Amino acid sequence: MLEDILYDNNEYAVIFDNVSKIYRLNDKGHKTPRDFYALRDVSFKIKKGEVCGLLGINGSGKSTLSMILAGIQSPSKGTVTINGHQEMVAIQAGLNGQLTGYENIDYKGALLGLSKNKIKEIKDVVCEFSEIGEFLDQPVKKYSSGMKSRLGFSISLALDPDIYIIDEALSVGDKAFADKCLDKMNELKNNSKKTIIFISHSLQQSRSFCDTAIWLDGGKVRRMGPMDIICHNYSYYIHYYQDLSPEGKKKENQSRFDARVEEVKRKGLHSIFRG
Amino acid sequence: MFKAIKYVISENVGNLYRIFTISKYTITADIHDSKLGLFWNFANPLIQVMTYWFLFGIVFQRKAVGDIPYLPWMLTGMAVWFFLSPCITNGCNAIFQKAGVISKMKFPVSILPATVIFVEFFNHICFMIITIIGLLLFGFYPSIYWLELIYYMAAAILFAISLALVMSVLNMIARDVRKFVLAIMRLLLYLTPILWDIKTLPKNLQFIMKCNPIFYIVTGYRDCFFYHRGILFYHKQMALFFAITLTLFAIGSTLMYRFKTRFIDLL
Repeated sequence: MLEDILYDNNEYAVIFDNVSKIYRLNDKGHKTPRDFYALRDVSFKIKKGEVCGLLGINGSGKSTLSMILAGIQSPSKGTVTINGHQEMVAIQAGLNGQLTGYENIDYKGALLGLSKNKIKEIKDVVCEFSEIGEFLDQPVKKYSSGMKSRLGFSISLALDPDIYIIDEALSVGDKAFADKCLDKMNELKNNSKKTIIFISHSLQQSRSFCDTAIWLDGGKVRRMGPMDIICHNYSYYIHYYQDLSPEGKKKENQSRFDARVEEVKRKGLHSIFRG
Repeated sequence: MFKAIKYVISENVGNLYRIFTISKYTITADIHDSKLGLFWNFANPLIQVMTYWFLFGIVFQRKAVGDIPYLPWMLTGMAVWFFLSPCITNGCNAIFQKAGVISKMKFPVSILPATVIFVEFFNHICFMIITIIGLLLFGFYPSIYWLELIYYMAAAILFAISLALVMSVLNMIARDVRKFVLAIMRLLLYLTPILWDIKTLPKNLQFIMKCNPIFYIVTGYRDCFFYHRGILFYHKQMALFFAITLTLFAIGSTLMYRFKTRFIDLL
């Protein structure tokens, strides 16, 4: 029995078990402080080698979820199990505008914890993939936003983790480069059997790329399953939401917000210092 | 607590290349930032020293301290001050200024104080070049005692990192910490016997001044260049200095360990 569970769990790259992320709201008008559930009792499993799309409207908890997945934030409740090394593909983070493209490869590589040799190894790959050419000698502050993301994405891509977390990484830059990235991701998916968690507002991109999907709504999992079905449901919902009158939208958002907020007893200053 | 200390030490030692590269490119970015670049690393401290020298050496007619002329005596003290002061004020900001990094990637936060200190150490080396040229002009030539500098620099770095560990975490909890420290540092320059001789004070006040870790480093630097008494001559201050430094390091590590997963919530 126990062996079954252990074996079973080994198949999964990511296991979320009743994960919640709670923020204390910063409000002065209220007598009692309130907690906001950015995520509430989220449970799911992602198999190794699976490409999973996260769907949801703005503020539904996608980014919080991806941060917890990446190990940048810790959950307030619940447990997260990650089998393997995960890395968030952060495109613009860690680039220094004053430094040249070349120097930024060193700098961001070091920020990401790559060794000296590894950085040397990836340099050529990054230079080639980013297609920046002569501009690599120019300071990054002179780059267009598309060029910046191309450089950042290329460095992140060279990390080679077991689990990629891609949060809106392909929505900047031109179509040609986005397609190139998507091709590269497909290659990772098909040839290297990487697990990929993919967040994009482009339903079309998600649908063509992902096997499964998790639809987040108001910090909870609304539905999950094969991409086709979830995508269908989600796009249906998006149309419903878009067709709402401004008042209707407001009402819906308010009720969604109220459902995520909980009043709590006031705690002293010492609560900051406890975990 | 020991777990925390072990955690911070292993994270720092395991990421030496990362610390070195971040510091290096912070300096490079700063140099690229201006047209004259590296020139300012020398010009800035030089202008500051000239200001203080003009004020105290010329306007207030400060006499030689013992056998040592005022300008070289002050210069050695200022060298330490212009190293440790930015270490402390920028150390407060060590984590906060890297908000864009720690919120976007998995990052060993406890190495950030060290990266700030090494940037300042580079500036300190620039300042030391000016100091040594000044000393040579005044006829203080290299001696075996100059090697003591290595010890005192290492001690200063250790102290600065320990203090920055504490301050950077506290500054994440409340940003008021840095504002408070900025105000205190302005005061501390005059409260530390850098521009004036400690012997002008009554005995009991002298004792309090000697407890100041910054003054221990200042005394050490002056010993290397002028007095040549050796490191062990100041063994009491040395013991106190390391007691303070290790306590700060223990507190800083504990804070760092306790907050390591929660810095993003505090941004």
